[in-house]
Amino acid sequence: MQAKLLRAVGLAAVLGLVMLATPARAMEDKLVVVTSFPKDLTNVFKEAFEKKYPGVKVEMLKKKTTAGVKYIQETASNNTSDIFWASAPDAFEVLKGDGLLAKYDVKQQGIPAKIGAFPLNDPDGYYKGFAASGYGIMWNTRYLKAKKLPVPQEWEELARPVYFGHVGMSAPSRSGTTHLTVETVLQGLGWEKGWALWKAIGGNLKTVTERSFGVPSGVNSGDFGIGIVIDFFGFSSKATGYPVDFRYPSTTALVPANIAIVKNAPHPKNAAAFIEFLLSPEGQELLLDPKIQRLPVRPELYESKAKHLPNPFKGEIAAKVAFDVKKSKARYNVVNSLFDVMITYRLNDLKAATKAIHDAAAALKAKPNAEGEKLLAEARALVAAVPIDEARSLDPAFAGVFKKKRKKATDKITGRQAEIEQQWDEMVRANYAKAKELAEKAAAMAR
Amino acid sequence: MQSQRILIEDLHLAFGSTEVLKGIDLEIRPGEFFAFLGPSGSGKSTLLRAIAGFGPKPSRGRIVIGEEDVAGLPPWERNVGMVFQNYALWPHMTVWKNVAFGLEERCVPKAEIAARVEEALQLVGLLELAQRRPSQLSGGQQQRVALARTIVVRPRVLLLDEPLSNLDANLRVQMRRELLRLQRELGITTIFVTHDQEEANTTADRMAVLDQGVIQQVGTPMELYDAPVNLFVAGFLGSANRIRGRVVAEAGSRVFRGAGGVVLPVPPDEAEGEAWAIFRPQNVRLLEEGDASTEKVRQGVACFAGKVLRAEFLGSIIRYALVLEDEEEILLDEPHRPGQHVLREGERATACIDAQAVRILRQ
Amino acid sequence: MMLAAQGRMQWGAAATGLSVLLVLLVFFVVPVAKVFYVAFLDAQTGELTLVNFLDFFRTSLFRESFFNSLYVALMSVVVATIIAVPLAYFTTRFNFTGAALIHTLGVIPLIMPPFVGAVAMQMLFGANGSINLLLDEWFGFTIPFMEGLNGVILVESIHYFPFILINLSASLSNIDRAMEEAAQNLGAHGFRLFRRVVFPLAMPGFAAGAALVFLKVFDDLGTPLLLNVNNMLAPQAYLRISSIGIADPMGYVISVILVVFSLFSLWVSFLATRGRDYASVQKGGGGLMKRDLRTWEKVGAWAVIVLILIVVLSPHIGLLLLSFGTIWSFSVLPDAFTVKHYQEVFTTAWPYIANTLLYAGLAALLDVILATAIAYVVWRTNLPGRQVLDYLGTAAVAVPGVVLGIGYLRMFHDFNVPLVNEPLASWWVIIVVALMIRRLPYALRACTAALQQVSVALEEAAQNLGAGRFSTVRRIVVPLMAGGIAAGFVTAFATAAVELSAVLILVSKESDAPLAYGIYVYMQTAAGRGPGAALGVLAVIIVGVATYLSHRFVERTRAEREAAGRQAATGAA
Repeated sequence: MQAKLLRAVGLAAVLGLVMLATPARAMEDKLVVVTSFPKDLTNVFKEAFEKKYPGVKVEMLKKKTTAGVKYIQETASNNTSDIFWASAPDAFEVLKGDGLLAKYDVKQQGIPAKIGAFPLNDPDGYYKGFAASGYGIMWNTRYLKAKKLPVPQEWEELARPVYFGHVGMSAPSRSGTTHLTVETVLQGLGWEKGWALWKAIGGNLKTVTERSFGVPSGVNSGDFGIGIVIDFFGFSSKATGYPVDFRYPSTTALVPANIAIVKNAPHPKNAAAFIEFLLSPEGQELLLDPKIQRLPVRPELYESKAKHLPNPFKGEIAAKVAFDVKKSKARYNVVNSLFDVMITYRLNDLKAATKAIHDAAAALKAKPNAEGEKLLAEARALVAAVPIDEARSLDPAFAGVFKKKRKKATDKITGRQAEIEQQWDEMVRANYAKAKELAEKAAAMAR
Repeated sequence: MQSQRILIEDLHLAFGSTEVLKGIDLEIRPGEFFAFLGPSGSGKSTLLRAIAGFGPKPSRGRIVIGEEDVAGLPPWERNVGMVFQNYALWPHMTVWKNVAFGLEERCVPKAEIAARVEEALQLVGLLELAQRRPSQLSGGQQQRVALARTIVVRPRVLLLDEPLSNLDANLRVQMRRELLRLQRELGITTIFVTHDQEEANTTADRMAVLDQGVIQQVGTPMELYDAPVNLFVAGFLGSANRIRGRVVAEAGSRVFRGAGGVVLPVPPDEAEGEAWAIFRPQNVRLLEEGDASTEKVRQGVACFAGKVLRAEFLGSIIRYALVLEDEEEILLDEPHRPGQHVLREGERATACIDAQAVRILRQ
Repeated sequence: MMLAAQGRMQWGAAATGLSVLLVLLVFFVVPVAKVFYVAFLDAQTGELTLVNFLDFFRTSLFRESFFNSLYVALMSVVVATIIAVPLAYFTTRFNFTGAALIHTLGVIPLIMPPFVGAVAMQMLFGANGSINLLLDEWFGFTIPFMEGLNGVILVESIHYFPFILINLSASLSNIDRAMEEAAQNLGAHGFRLFRRVVFPLAMPGFAAGAALVFLKVFDDLGTPLLLNVNNMLAPQAYLRISSIGIADPMGYVISVILVVFSLFSLWVSFLATRGRDYASVQKGGGGLMKRDLRTWEKVGAWAVIVLILIVVLSPHIGLLLLSFGTIWSFSVLPDAFTVKHYQEVFTTAWPYIANTLLYAGLAALLDVILATAIAYVVWRTNLPGRQVLDYLGTAAVAVPGVVLGIGYLRMFHDFNVPLVNEPLASWWVIIVVALMIRRLPYALRACTAALQQVSVALEEAAQNLGAGRFSTVRRIVVPLMAGGIAAGFVTAFATAAVELSAVLILVSKESDAPLAYGIYVYMQTAAGRGPGAALGVLAVIIVGVATYLSHRFVERTRAEREAAGRQAATGAA
């Protein structure tokens, strides 16, 4: 009996082997795309491209942005990927920095050089923007109604006491898009004020999700009511039928979603064809699919098929911040690490301090007390404090601590990431604890 | 503790729809060493377990220990000591802990537990192994621990389920004497189950032979051996020749005429009709050729002629198989003496038996 | 002559042992070592150092994470025990029609596909999940089932309690009935009997199950990540390893610490149960006395069991609702029901399903082959160092999937497979290999247990009749182990079919992707939640059916063997 079973399994195994090995060997004409985009987006392009170029098989390799970068880095010595296709320009910067991308000149005409204040393409010619995305606030209408919460309009509003425990966001180290949001606010408001805002919002967070999709997913479920998300998450959730809505706050960055050819791509011709297709009017129109909902980079579309979308080329999305890619890149890892140390990993401490501050503020409003106000201000300052200033964040020697390898043997780097994070962590924890204590004292005074 | 009587009345017990005990009536006297003997499946173990309270509830009947009917009580309220066939020593406890278990369950004061466990282990001669685990003991030692564990709680009666079956032959003889010594010393009413008649014969004061859920016969080993009430008992206890035939009236007396031309004198009060003649091989002796005569029948000895089928040397005896007329076969044992003449296969021989060694059974 | 034969037999065994060792070295030890090596490097200078470990213990966040992981693992064992003990007790102790149900449904939680399970649990138990919405509406309060560590403990214990259930049930049914009777005979009954005799005897099984739960929870990455709990070791390791461009060796340091601690706890549980494998000491067997339940007891037992099963199957219930629901947002139940998710899945999911069956089937097959070989070499030969195979095979349980995946990428990317002309690291077979290594410990346990139950005398009888060692293994040992091998195959197959962590890293082509990956891809989009759940339901059904069939097979072989055993026993007496 079991002999028969074993034989059957063995046969199945051999059959399976043949089945799967055959196409793999026969594939002369294929295209391997490493992408962070959801299936809803990639499938549309895959099908259209395969239809246009019969005989080419497109492999969409779905990875989270961070994992995709890691994958291309780890497999560089024997590369099998043709294209890297993701949102966050930073991820492309990292790959470019490691020399893992190939230069490519686009043949398509009619695409502006800038979208808002943001240059659409890599000035060095490694990666191209194919769609624009803006960051904004997404909310669950049922949730807000049930909890009687107002619809937030601006980032600053998310720090209001009413939203305590109702907000969700991802961490910049986990999600390239979130990194952009964080960096945009830091550049828009300045280092100190920017961090103060993020920590004030951080104190209201229900959770810091591990993936960027975790945020729309949480809002969709009603696990939390408000999320900081990239626009297409909001649009596509709404299009799917979830009781959610989305808006752009006035301080936002419009950034392109990008595409690039991986160095030593096994199928460079197909890769080039894919990029051309993506940027052609035909490809750009596909972005308007209700499940995709991204802003095309061809301005003429906003006059016709994309009329319902805000036109970024006409300032319909107020992108006040002139995003500085160099700056962003210089402190990429420092910002990630700071956010994690101050918010992600100390969320409970931060929330406790924030709760105490909210309570104290409410108490003082009801019964003003100058001494109390002073303590409260002190508490807020403690929560807001950042271990390092902007200059240090941009210091290449300091940022080097967070880098993989020294660029030159002569570069002197002192300190280890773990050592520095540990110092930050101690400071942050002490600050939060102290802030909580002060706020409680302030509240007591108003009683 | 006073020795207790065990009284079983009309006990019926079934596993599902299969009736395993069919109306057991039995009295075991106080202080008696009593054996249940029978082939496997006879119900002997089931009966023992029923006394201890294991197995399905009896559908009918009483089990009285001392003056108390225990048939309705759960096992833990019976205070009946049982030693299991495989000893059932708990491997996660030391010998000492195993023995102390029952006393702890009875909430005996600690000091007394220590004293009694020590005493019990002393009794079985294993005090020095008290801290070992059961897995570190030999079979015989495990047996003794199991015994100590049971008797330390001073049960009303002691039940032994095939206590010697897991031991090798030498140890078995030794343990069986030890069991007997212990039983006598404690004066505790003891039942033990066995399928080995030698074990039962050597130890039991009395025994019951069971077959198919029914007690076939109760008595001392010798009574059962010499006067089996039926063919089963006769055949189960030792070897027996069974010859089928009839009791007929002949010349004012009664004679058994059986297969193979066997003619045996029977007591005059024996009724006529179908019957079996039963006799033990060792009661049959060989005669020289030609000695047989009907005269000897009248003198209370019957002889019959046959041919040697085979001769087996069993040490103390030589066992012959003779073929009589009609292919009827009987066994006879000759004590073995050095230099003795051994009949060979095919030789003719005559065998004789005293009439009083023959038992006539109707069945 | 005798020696020569002995020598020849040893050569065959040695060759087997060495091949197994080679497989384990190439596909397990070296890749993992390659990853761990980073933990011992100074990130800046590239020199060997232990400073990273010092950093670990100096950082309060890591210390906190360590204790959180420990706490969650221990509490999960406690909660899993509370779930598993009554189920095991009822099934082994009473003649109870629910037993088969418990045995089948009790294993289902193990085959919860990733992502969807946690989403389903959130929908039911989350802060604004069905239960809390109802509680809030009716009573005006909510219970934070899913908040922080509580959520992790809840999900983990529901997911992993079958390990305790399976092991404890096996132990309980191996207890010699006389052990219990002897205690009753001496006056013990009820709970005291259970506590003093039955449970200690079942302890080895319980300890094995509990150790497995502890280990899996301690190492588990998916659940804390999905519940956004970061202050635990495994997520800390993962978050650090997978961050863009960061050269932080701490992720690897944490991985090393995870593995070392897991091995340590394995070793402790090994020490605790060593020499207590009571089943082999006991001669009778036959399991505990089973008794019939009275009517009201039956009602009570059913109530307890149904309650437990509802809790335990809640992820699946939620999953089913998700898969049939249209939109489910901030409401007790989905807004409406539809079958369109299934329609979508049926048109796109076949490659995923085929790949899953192929990968999990092959991996499980290789697992039982390896496991049988290891068990045989370890228990039936006296090759020097044979225990190493057992240790390595077991140690695989302590290595997180991410670490193995990264190790494979590092080690096999430069190796092109001949004929296929693809790097081994991106060839689909590497996924099978990863699954094989990840699930080897399960198969090894099952096969070892099965081999230990095969009497050496049966092998000797075969050898006596002229069968060589190989022939003996093939014709006597393997058939007699069939039940255990099948059990090992089932466990390996069922759990491999829903494995994600290593797969996520190793899938290099969508056409090579298994179900778990397909679910992951679906669950990344707003519109994909329903189809993802539908795919999850399909996965559960497929694996569940496969499990059930193999379970039937195991039961039948066992029944046949027992019948044969009974016959032999009657014949002998």
